[in-house]
Amino acid sequence: MRLGHRIGASALGIMAALAAGGAAAQTLNVQLSSDIRSSRPGVNRDALSDMVALNVAEGLFAIGERGDIVPMLAESWTVSDDGTVYTFALREGRVFHNGAPVTADLVKQSWEAMLAAPDFNCAGFFDGSRGAAITSIEAPEADTVVITLEEPDAMFLKYAAQSQCGGMAVTHPDSFSADGDWDHPVGTGPFTFADWRRGQSVVLEKFADYQPLTGEPDGFAGHKEALVDVVNLVVTPDRATAVAALRSGDLDVVPYLSTSEAAELMDDPDFEVKSSPHGGMITLLMQTADPVLSSTEMRMAVAKALDIPQLVDVATDGLGTANASLVPKGSIYHSALHDRSIDYAPDEVPALLEAAGYNGEELVIQTNRRNPINENVAVLAQAMLQMAGINARIEVLEWATQLDRFRSGSFQMSAFNYSDRADPVLAYSAVVDSKEDRGSAIWDDPRAIELVAKTLQTPDGDARQALFDELHELYLEQMPFVMLANNLTVSVNADYVQDYSTWNGFARLWGVSVEK
Amino acid sequence: MTRFVLSRLISAIPTLFLVSLAVFTLIRLIPGDPVSLMLGDNVDDAAYTAMSHELGLDRPIAVQFLMWLQGAFQGDLGRSITTGEAVLPLVLQRFAITAQLVLVAVGLATVLAVPFGMLAAWRQNSAFDLGVVVGATALMSIPTFWMGLMLLLLFGLNLGWLPVLGYVSPFEDFGAGALYLVMPVAALVLHECGILVRMSRASTLDVLRLDYVTHARAKGLTESQVLRHHVFRNAFGPTWTLLGLILGNLLGGVAVVETVFTIPGLGRLIVESIYGRDYPVLQGCLLFVAVTYVVVNLIVDLCYPLFDPRVKTT
Repeated sequence: MRLGHRIGASALGIMAALAAGGAAAQTLNVQLSSDIRSSRPGVNRDALSDMVALNVAEGLFAIGERGDIVPMLAESWTVSDDGTVYTFALREGRVFHNGAPVTADLVKQSWEAMLAAPDFNCAGFFDGSRGAAITSIEAPEADTVVITLEEPDAMFLKYAAQSQCGGMAVTHPDSFSADGDWDHPVGTGPFTFADWRRGQSVVLEKFADYQPLTGEPDGFAGHKEALVDVVNLVVTPDRATAVAALRSGDLDVVPYLSTSEAAELMDDPDFEVKSSPHGGMITLLMQTADPVLSSTEMRMAVAKALDIPQLVDVATDGLGTANASLVPKGSIYHSALHDRSIDYAPDEVPALLEAAGYNGEELVIQTNRRNPINENVAVLAQAMLQMAGINARIEVLEWATQLDRFRSGSFQMSAFNYSDRADPVLAYSAVVDSKEDRGSAIWDDPRAIELVAKTLQTPDGDARQALFDELHELYLEQMPFVMLANNLTVSVNADYVQDYSTWNGFARLWGVSVEK
Repeated sequence: MTRFVLSRLISAIPTLFLVSLAVFTLIRLIPGDPVSLMLGDNVDDAAYTAMSHELGLDRPIAVQFLMWLQGAFQGDLGRSITTGEAVLPLVLQRFAITAQLVLVAVGLATVLAVPFGMLAAWRQNSAFDLGVVVGATALMSIPTFWMGLMLLLLFGLNLGWLPVLGYVSPFEDFGAGALYLVMPVAALVLHECGILVRMSRASTLDVLRLDYVTHARAKGLTESQVLRHHVFRNAFGPTWTLLGLILGNLLGGVAVVETVFTIPGLGRLIVESIYGRDYPVLQGCLLFVAVTYVVVNLIVDLCYPLFDPRVKTT
C-alpha cells in the first residue's frame, strides 16, 4: 500500500478496524466526479447524490433488475379494485441505522416529510400535477401503511421508485437536526452515512445490523450485503487524475469513465472495464417544426443515410449496441418487434431528398464536448450525411447552452442523451408531447400522445405490451428523431475489487469486496 | 498613512461596484441557466417556471441585482443555488485552503527566485546566467496543469512517495496536510519561479549599471556587501510589485492546480459555479477575488517605501 493511500485512510476507517477487533478494515475508494448536492434522497439532487442515497436508504419497494417493481421494506402490497388504495405490509425485523425499528408510523412520517419538502424533485408526481394526487397516508397498524390516491394511477409505484425521487426512501426523524433542518440520512440501507466533507469526500460505513434479503441482488433491491467496512467516495473532478489514482491504488473504482478512456484500460490486466447499458437514450434529435425537417421524407432520408450499428460502435468505442427502440433491450417489453429498425440504405436517400424538396439547405447538428459520445455521434453523423448528399454542419456548444437550446426547441438537429427512466413509457413521455405545451417535446403527433397517455394508465401486462409495440411501429413510420442506442455506464475497477458493477447508471456498493 | 489607506479603500468602492455589476450582468448573458441544468432532460415548462420563481430568477435583472447588492452590504452574499449553503462562509472556507497553498508557494518561489535572479545578473553572460535564463524561460513556458500531471505521475504514481489525490487540512494534521500540499505547491513554485527569476535578474541588471554601485565598489566594499546592502533593496522594488500582482492573481484561485490535485479551493469553486450556473456563488467568489486583489495591492504599496524610500505613501 502506498504512502498516500495510508495517509488517506480515514479516521472512521481506523475506528471501524478497531471495532472489528483489530482486523484491518476493508476500505473501498471510489471516485466521485463532483461533490453531491445534498444528502437527502430526492431533494436537491443529481445523479451522484442519487447514487449515494441508493446505498444508504431504502424505500418500501424498489426497481428490480428488469425494470419491474419489487418489494424492499414492504414485504408485499395490495391494490384496491378501483386502483386508488395501496396497502403495504412491512417486512419484519428491519431497523434504521440508529437501531430504531421500522414502523408504519415512521414510514408515514417519512413520506409526509418528503412530500412537504420545498425542494422535493418529484412533488409533481404525487400532488396531481404530473401524476395522481395522494390524498392520505395512514398507519392503521404498526406494520401496515395505507396510501390513498385521488384517482387510479398505474405509474404510481414506478414514479415513487425512481432514483430522482430518492426511491421514496424511508428515513428516521433523527435525520433532522433539533431545529428541523435536514442533517444526514438515517436510513435502513446496507451502508450508513458516516461523514461528508464538502468538496472532498463522502464516507459510508457498513451497517452492522443490516439483514440482507435472501436470494440474488435484484436492481436496487434483493440481496444487499455490505462486504467492505468503509466506502470512501473521493471527489476527483479531473479524469486524468482519477485514472492516475486508480493506477497508484489511491482509488479502487472509477464508476463513470468515457468510452475512449475506458478503451485505453481495456487490455490492462490490472483493471476490469465494465460496460453496462441502462434506460437512458443516445439520440440524434431532429426538430420536426424546422422547415427542412418537417418533411417525413427528409427525416427518413437522414435515418437511411446513417449506418447506425457502425455509428454506435465507433461512437462508443465498441462498448455500445444499437437499439432502434425507446424500450431498452433489457426491459420485459422489448419484444422482437422492437428490434425492427430503419436500415442503412444510402441508395434510397436521393429519391427521398427529392420527394422532400431538399435543395442543399444546411442542417446544423448541435453537440457538446462534455459527453464524448455526443461529440462522436455528431462527427460521424455529419460525415455519413454529407456522403449521402445532405449538407450537415456541426456546432459545438457548452453543455448548459445545448441544454438551454434543447429546452426551448432551438435546434435543427442535436446529438443529445436522455437520462435513465424507470419505465419505458417515461422514455416516450420525455419525447412525446405537443410542442405548444412543451418546448423540449420532439415528437408532436396526436396518435403518439394518445398512446403514451394510455400506456401511462395501463398496468403491466399484455395490453401494455401492445401499446409499446404500436408506439414503436408509429416511430418507425414517422421517424421524428433517430434513436441510436441505450446509454451506457462504463466503469473501471482494480483487479483486486470483486463483484463491482454499475447498475442502471448507479454504483452498487453492496456485494463488493476488496481482496488485495 | 491613514489618509492614504482610506483614500485607497474609498477609491476601491466604485471598482468593486463595477465588478459586481459586470459579473452579475455577464453571467446572465451566457446561454443556459441553473434551472435548466438542475432539471436536465426531465424539464417541463411548469416545473421550470415553478423553480425559477422559487429561486427568484423570474424577477427583472435590475431587481435581482439590487436585492443582491443590499444583501452584500449587510455581509449576506446569498445562498448557493445548487447546495443551499450560505455563500460567504463557503467562499471564506475555500479561500482559506487556496491561501495556504498560494502563500506557501509564492513565499518559497520568492526565496528561491530572487537570489538566483540576482546572482545571474551579477554573473551576466556566464554559463550560470545562461543556465538560469534558459531554466526560467522553460519553467515559465510549461503550463501548470502539465507540470502538475507530470509531478503526479512521477512522485505519486511511479515512485509512490506522495498521495495522488485527496486533501487534509494542515490545521487538522500538520504532517499529512503538508504531504498533500507538496506536489501542488511544487507545481506553483516552479512556474512562479520562472517569472520571478526573470524579473529579479532584469531589475538587478538595471541597478548594477548605476553610478552609485560603481561608487560603492570604488570605496572597496566586497561584492557581497554591494549586492546585499546596495543592490538588493533597489532591485527588489519591481519584483515586489510583481509579487503583489502574482499574489492577487493566485489568491483568486488556482483552478487548474486545484482540479488536478483535488484541492477544494476557491478556484475549483469558481469553475464549478460557472458550469453549474450557480449565480450567487459565482458573484460572491468574484467579488471576494476583487476585494482580495485590492487589499493585496494596497499592502504591497504600503510596503514599497521599505525598499525605496523615495516612494511616499502620503
